[in-house]
Amino acid sequence: MIGRVKGVVALGLGAALLAAPAASDAQVRMTVPPQSEAVAIRGATIHTVTEGVIENGTILFDDGIITAIGTDLEIPTGARVVDGTGKHIYPGLIDAYSTVGISEIGAVGVSQDINELGDFNPNVRADIAVNAESRHIGTSRSAGVLVAFSTPGGGLVSGMSSALSLEGWTWEEMSMESAAALNVSWPDPNPRRFWWQDDDDEDAPSYEEQVAELTAFFDEARAYRDAVAAGEEVRTDSRYAAMTPVFDREIPVVVAADGAAQINDAVTWALEEDLRIVIRGGQDAIHVADRLVANDIPVILTSTMAAPERDYEGYDGAYSMPARLHEAGVRFAISGGAGSLYTNRLPWEAGVAVAFGLPEEEALRAVTINAAEFMGIDDRVGSLEPGKQATFLITTGTPLDMTNDIEQAYIQGREIDMMDIQKFFFEKYMTKVMQYLRMVM
Amino acid sequence: MRPRLRTLLLALPLVGLLPEGAGAQQATRTQPVEGMRDNATGYHALVGARVVTAPGQVLDEATIVIRDGIIREVSEGSDAPAGARVWDVSGHTVYPGFIDAHADLGMDAVPEGGDVGPTHWNPQVRAWFSTTRNLQDDAERRAALRSQGFGTALVVPKQGIFRGTASVVNLGDAGVRGRVLRPDVAQSIGFQRSFQLGGSYPNSPMGTAALMKQTFMDADWYIRAWDAYESSGRALLPPETSEALAALEDAVQGGQPVFFETRSEEEYLRALDIAAEFGVDAWYRGNGQEYRILDVLSGRAEPLVVPLAFPDAPDVSDPEAVLNATLADLRHWYLAPASPGRLAETGVRFAITADGLTSLNDFLPNLRTAVARGLSPDAALAALTITPAEWLGLSRSHGTIEQGKVANLVVTEGDLFTEEATVRDVWVQGQVYGVTRAPEIDPRGTWRIASSDEWGFDAVLEIEGPLNRLRGTIEVAPGPTVTFTGASIDLASASVVATTGRLEVRFDAEPLGYQGSVLLVGSIRGDDFYGWTSLPNGADPTFTGSRTEPYAGPTRGAVAMDVPELDLPVIRPMMEYGRSSIPARPEAIVVRNATVWTQGPQGRLQNADLLIRDGVVAEVGVDLDAPGGAVEIDGTGKHVTPGLIDPHIHSGVSGVNESGFAIVPEVRMADVLTHNNIAMYRQLAGGLTTAMVKHGSANPIGGENVIVKMRWGALPEELRLDTETRTVKFALGENPKRRQNRYPDTRMGTQEIIRDHFLAARDYEREWQRWEATQEGIPPRRDLRMEAILDILDQELLISSHGYRADEFLALVRLAEEFGFRVQTLQHGVEAYKIAPELAESGVAAVVWSDWGAFKLEAYDATVYNARILMEAGVVTSLHSDNSEIASRMNWEAGKLLRTGLTEEQALSTVTIQAAQAIAIDDRVGSLEPGKDGDFVVWSGNPLSQFTRAEQTWLDGRRYFSLEEDAELREQIRRERSQLVQAILAAQDENGNGNQRMGSDR
Repeated sequence: MIGRVKGVVALGLGAALLAAPAASDAQVRMTVPPQSEAVAIRGATIHTVTEGVIENGTILFDDGIITAIGTDLEIPTGARVVDGTGKHIYPGLIDAYSTVGISEIGAVGVSQDINELGDFNPNVRADIAVNAESRHIGTSRSAGVLVAFSTPGGGLVSGMSSALSLEGWTWEEMSMESAAALNVSWPDPNPRRFWWQDDDDEDAPSYEEQVAELTAFFDEARAYRDAVAAGEEVRTDSRYAAMTPVFDREIPVVVAADGAAQINDAVTWALEEDLRIVIRGGQDAIHVADRLVANDIPVILTSTMAAPERDYEGYDGAYSMPARLHEAGVRFAISGGAGSLYTNRLPWEAGVAVAFGLPEEEALRAVTINAAEFMGIDDRVGSLEPGKQATFLITTGTPLDMTNDIEQAYIQGREIDMMDIQKFFFEKYMTKVMQYLRMVM
Repeated sequence: MRPRLRTLLLALPLVGLLPEGAGAQQATRTQPVEGMRDNATGYHALVGARVVTAPGQVLDEATIVIRDGIIREVSEGSDAPAGARVWDVSGHTVYPGFIDAHADLGMDAVPEGGDVGPTHWNPQVRAWFSTTRNLQDDAERRAALRSQGFGTALVVPKQGIFRGTASVVNLGDAGVRGRVLRPDVAQSIGFQRSFQLGGSYPNSPMGTAALMKQTFMDADWYIRAWDAYESSGRALLPPETSEALAALEDAVQGGQPVFFETRSEEEYLRALDIAAEFGVDAWYRGNGQEYRILDVLSGRAEPLVVPLAFPDAPDVSDPEAVLNATLADLRHWYLAPASPGRLAETGVRFAITADGLTSLNDFLPNLRTAVARGLSPDAALAALTITPAEWLGLSRSHGTIEQGKVANLVVTEGDLFTEEATVRDVWVQGQVYGVTRAPEIDPRGTWRIASSDEWGFDAVLEIEGPLNRLRGTIEVAPGPTVTFTGASIDLASASVVATTGRLEVRFDAEPLGYQGSVLLVGSIRGDDFYGWTSLPNGADPTFTGSRTEPYAGPTRGAVAMDVPELDLPVIRPMMEYGRSSIPARPEAIVVRNATVWTQGPQGRLQNADLLIRDGVVAEVGVDLDAPGGAVEIDGTGKHVTPGLIDPHIHSGVSGVNESGFAIVPEVRMADVLTHNNIAMYRQLAGGLTTAMVKHGSANPIGGENVIVKMRWGALPEELRLDTETRTVKFALGENPKRRQNRYPDTRMGTQEIIRDHFLAARDYEREWQRWEATQEGIPPRRDLRMEAILDILDQELLISSHGYRADEFLALVRLAEEFGFRVQTLQHGVEAYKIAPELAESGVAAVVWSDWGAFKLEAYDATVYNARILMEAGVVTSLHSDNSEIASRMNWEAGKLLRTGLTEEQALSTVTIQAAQAIAIDDRVGSLEPGKDGDFVVWSGNPLSQFTRAEQTWLDGRRYFSLEEDAELREQIRRERSQLVQAILAAQDENGNGNQRMGSDR
C-alpha cells in the first residue's frame, strides 16, 4: 500500500514566497511607542457600531483618541494620511470573559494564575498577574481582539476582572481598569456527580448552605462599608474593603450561572442586595428571558460555539441562542468562552450566531459596545466615536467571518506590530521548506 | 495425560437421574445415615385446586398426587387416594414450578488473596470455576427465589469475564449433594470485568472483546498443544498448564453452550459477532433493551433469557428536572416493561429470569407489569417453565404438571399473572415450602366480641385483605366504664401467627379515651374467638365472641396497565432524532445551478449541476441530462461540496482507551461501535459524512481504528465504510508515558518498546514458518497481538500516530523506515510543520488541527500556519477535530486556514480530498468525481464562511439530514417528551405517591 499518499495540492514556490509575511528579526512582536503624530485614515468603510456605517469615510485620531469621523473631514496639517480605500474599519473587539495573560499552557498548572485559594477573594485583581509576554496576546490581536477582561475564577467570590488593552510593555501599561467587575460563581443546585463520587457526600455543602454563605459574606461586607462610612474605627479587612464599589453600584457583579434555577435565584438575590448584575454563562437564559428583560439584566454568553447540553435540543441550540435571546429582547454580549487560551476565537463565537439568525450588526455589538457597556468601559472603547480611544481594526470585511482578513490593528492610536508567535513559526519554518524545495528542485 | 478438568458427572444420563424426594432414597445417596432415619411417606395429594398444567391448559377442581417427589397423577374431580397426606388447596391455583435460567446464587466470591494454582495468567479468566464444585449453602437466596415461584435454576457464576460453568440445581433445602440436576452445563461469560479479581488488562470493552477472542483461540490451541505433547510420548517440554483453557475445551468444540451476559443492545451485537466468529453455541442473557433490536434478535439470539429489571422513571418532579429528562430515558422507562410482550409478539422465544433485580421481591410485581403491558399470561408461563426446561435439557422432567414429572409446583391464591396474587406454597421435588401459608384457621370475616370485664367493651371486628397483609377495622361500642359514644378505628396492624391461627391486632386507643395503643390478641377456632387485651391504663380485660359473617373472599386487585396507551414509533437509535427507517435512496438526484466544489480535477464550477445515480456520483457539469423521476434540488445561490471527512474522532464507541498494556493492537474499535450517539446526528447537521473513530492515546501501540460513515439510524455493523483500509493507533509523547508503573516512562522508552514489539513480531513469524515447514514440536499459538503487528510491518495495518513534537514523529518515521515500511499519518502533529520536508520525503501524511494548541506543554508551539507549511512542502495535509463537537463544524475549521494564505479550494481540501488521502480512502470518498460515493452537502453559501450553514447532507445518495426534516423531528421530540412526562405523572398519581415505577404493588 506504499505510495497511496499523494500530494495533489502542490502550491507552487512562487505563491509561497509571495504569501510569506515580511521577514523580521528574531523578535516575535515589538511593542510600539505611544502615538506621536495625528493620523487620518481615508477612504474606508467605517463601522462605528453606535453611529452607523460611513462609506468612504475618514477617521482622525491623535494622542490615542479619536478626534473626528466623517466623510468630508478637514485633515489637520502635519497629520499622517493613510489610504484606506477599499478597506473596512471596525472597533477593536472586546472579550468580556477571558484569562489572557494569567493562563499560558492548559495542562501546566504552574502556568495558571486563575483560581486563588478559598471561597472569598474579592480583593484579588487579575491585571497585576498578567504576563505581558504571553503568546496568547499576539494571537488574540491578530484575530481582532484588542481589549479583554482577564478574569479570576474559583470559589464563590472569585475576584476582580481587569480590563486590558492588549498592547504595552507591562501589565501596568495594559491595564485600563484594574477592578472592573466583581466575579461571583453561583452555586449549582444540580451538581453533576460522577460515578466515583459518593451520592451522599456529607462534607459537600448543600446548595442552600452555599447560597447562605454567599449572602452572609455580602451582609458582612455591607456592614463593613456602612461602619467605615459612618466614621467608625474598624479593624481593616482587605476583602470587605474591596467590596465597597459593588455596593455603591460603581462596578457590576458578574454572576456565573447557566441553569434556569441558578439564574432565577441569582436574580432574586441581586434584586434583594440592590446590585448591578450581569449574568455570565446563561445557557438556559432563554427560560428566564422575561425576567431578565423586566429587570434589564444583561447576559455574557460563554458558549455559542458549542454542542447543546441536552440530547433533545437542536444541534444549533447554542449557535442560535443569541438570535433567540435577541428576539426575546434580552441584552447580551458574547465572550470567548473557552477563556484563556482561545481569546482569539472570539470572532467565531459571534460569527456563528449570524449563520443561525442573529442580524450581523447585533453580533458585532455583542463583541464591542455591549461588552464595553456591561463591563463599564464604554466611555473609552466599544465603538468608533470622537473622544473614545483609537482602538480599531483595518480589515477586508467583517472580522466575524474568516473569509476576511484583518490587516492592521491600532490600539490607543498606536499602529501595532501584527507579528505573533504563530506567524513567527511560519516564517522560520517556511525558510526551512524553501531551503528544502531549492534543494530538490 | 494432560490435566482434564471436565467433571465426569457431565456424562451422567439425564433420564434416570432421580431427584431427591422428601424421604431421601437410600439407593441414590452415599452418605450413611447417622442416628435415626427420617422417613416421611412422601405421599401427598393436593385437592380442589385450579391446576394450570401447562401454558393454556387448565384443570378445575383437580387433584395432584405426589409420591417420592414425582407426580403420580393429575386429574379433575377425583378424590385423594387413601394413605396420601391431603392438602386442601381449594380456591387456589397451582402452576408448574418456575425455572430461572440465569440465577445468581452468589456462590463465587473470590477467595482472599485471589485464586491459586495454574488457572490463567489473566485473573478475569476463571473458566475453571465450577458452580457444582463450589455449590454452597445460600439458603436465603434460595428461599427468596422460591418465594417468587422458582423451584429450579441454572446457577451462573458472575465474577470476571470468563466466569466458569453454570449448573442446574433444584432450589430445595437438600444438602449440596442433593441439589444438582445437571452439573456444569454451560460456560458463563460477560463483558464486565470484576475489579476484585485484579489485573490491569482489559480495562475497556474492546479489550474485553479482544481477550474473549484470544482466549477462545488459546483454548483451541491448548487441546492441540497437549495432544502434541502427549503423542510425542512426552519427549518434549510440556506446554503451559491452564485450568481455564482446559475447562473451555467443550465450549470451543461446540459441545458446551457459552452463556453471554449482556448489559445493552450493543453487547448483544458484540456477543452475536463473537459467537459467530468462533462457532460457539451461544446463549444470551438479555438486559431489558430487547425492544430496540427485535429485528436483530429474531431468529438469531436463541436461547435468550431476559430479566424483568425495569427502569425507574426519570425525575420529573419540577420544571427544571423536566428540562433535563432525555427522550432516550423517558422512552426506555415507558417501553422496557413492554419489551417481553414485544418479543413474544415478534415470535422470539425467550425465558424470563429474576436475575438483575435490585430486590427479588420485585419479580412477581414486575412480571404482572409485563403482562399488563402486553405479554400474554400463557407466554409468560411458557417463559418460566417449558421454554427454559427445554433449553436446560429438562423437558422430560420439568416445566409442566404431568404424570411422571418432578413435583415442582407453585400454589397461589389468585391468578399469578393478572392479579395481586399471593404465593402460598412452592413444592420442590415433592417437598413443600410454605411461602405465605394460610393459617389453619382463617381469621378473616366479621367478629362480634364482648367482654365481661369492667374495663372491657363490646366491639365488631372486621378483618380482610390478603393473608400476608391483613387489614381491618374495629368498631367499639360504649362499655360499662368507657364513657365515649363509640368509634370505628382502623387497625394500625393486624397479623396472623400462621401455624396456630392466632390473630394479633393493634389499634389507636385515643377514641377510647386513652393515650396510646390497644393490643388485642385472639385465638380462633372455627367461628369461636377467645381473646384478651392490654389497655393503656394497665387493664387487661378478656373477650369472647363469634364470627357473624364469613370472609367474603379475596379482595385482590386486578393488575392493569397504569400508563396511558402511547403510540411511540419504533425508532433507531432509540433516542432523540432517531428515525423509523433508513432514508430512501432515489435512483437519481440532480442538484441544479449551484457552485460545485468537486475537490477533484474539475475544480470548482459555477452554475453547475451534480448528478448522483444509484448512490454514486455520476457526473458534474453544466446542464446535465437527468433521468426522468430524478430528485431535483435547486442549487441556485447554494454551494455543494463533497461530504466532509474527519480522520480523528472518538465519538460513537463504548470505550476509547485500552490502557491495561502498553501494546494493544489486537483491540478493535470496530468491536465497540455504538449507534446510540447523538454526536453523529449533529455531525451530519454540520456536513460531516465520514470519520475515523480512533483508539485513545494511552499506548505506544494502541488499538485498530474504524472508519465509519454517518449512517444515522443504522446499526453499528452497518456504519463501517466499505474499504480494505485498516489503520492502527500509535501514540507518542506525553500520553503513553503518563500511566504509573507501566513501561515506558520516557520518549526514549516509547521508541524502544515499539521497536522491541516489531522485532517480536518477526520472531513470531519465523516460529510459525519453522513449524509449518516441519510440523515438529508443540504447535505455536496464534497471537492476535503479534499478528496485528505483523500486519503493521507488512503495511496492511497503516500507522496513524498521535503525537505533538517534531522529534518524536521523526523518530517513529525513521523506525518504520528501519523496518522497511512507511508511517501512513501523523495525527495532531502540532509541530509537524517543523519537519515538513522530512515528512514529504518519507511520504507521510499529516493530520493536524487548524489552530488548537497550548493546552499542554507539547502543544505550545502550535501555529495556524501548520497546514500551510506542510502543504507548501508537498505533504498530504488534513485537518481533524479529535472532538465529537468540533467534528460537526469542520468547514469552519478549514475556513480558519484562509488567513494563512491558502486558496478556498485548498482550504476545503483539508477536510475533503486530502482527509481521504491521508487515511487512504480517497478511492471511495473525498471528492465529487464519477464513481465515488454519493456523499455531498448543500450549503447556504460559501462553506468556509462563518455565516454559512449546511442545509442538506446526503450520504450514499440518501438524504440523512435536512433542515426541514430536522424541524419535523424536533416537533416530534417535543410531543413525545411531553406525553411521556405526563405519563409518569399519571402513573405516580395512580400509585398514589412518588412511586416512580409502573404497575407495582409492593
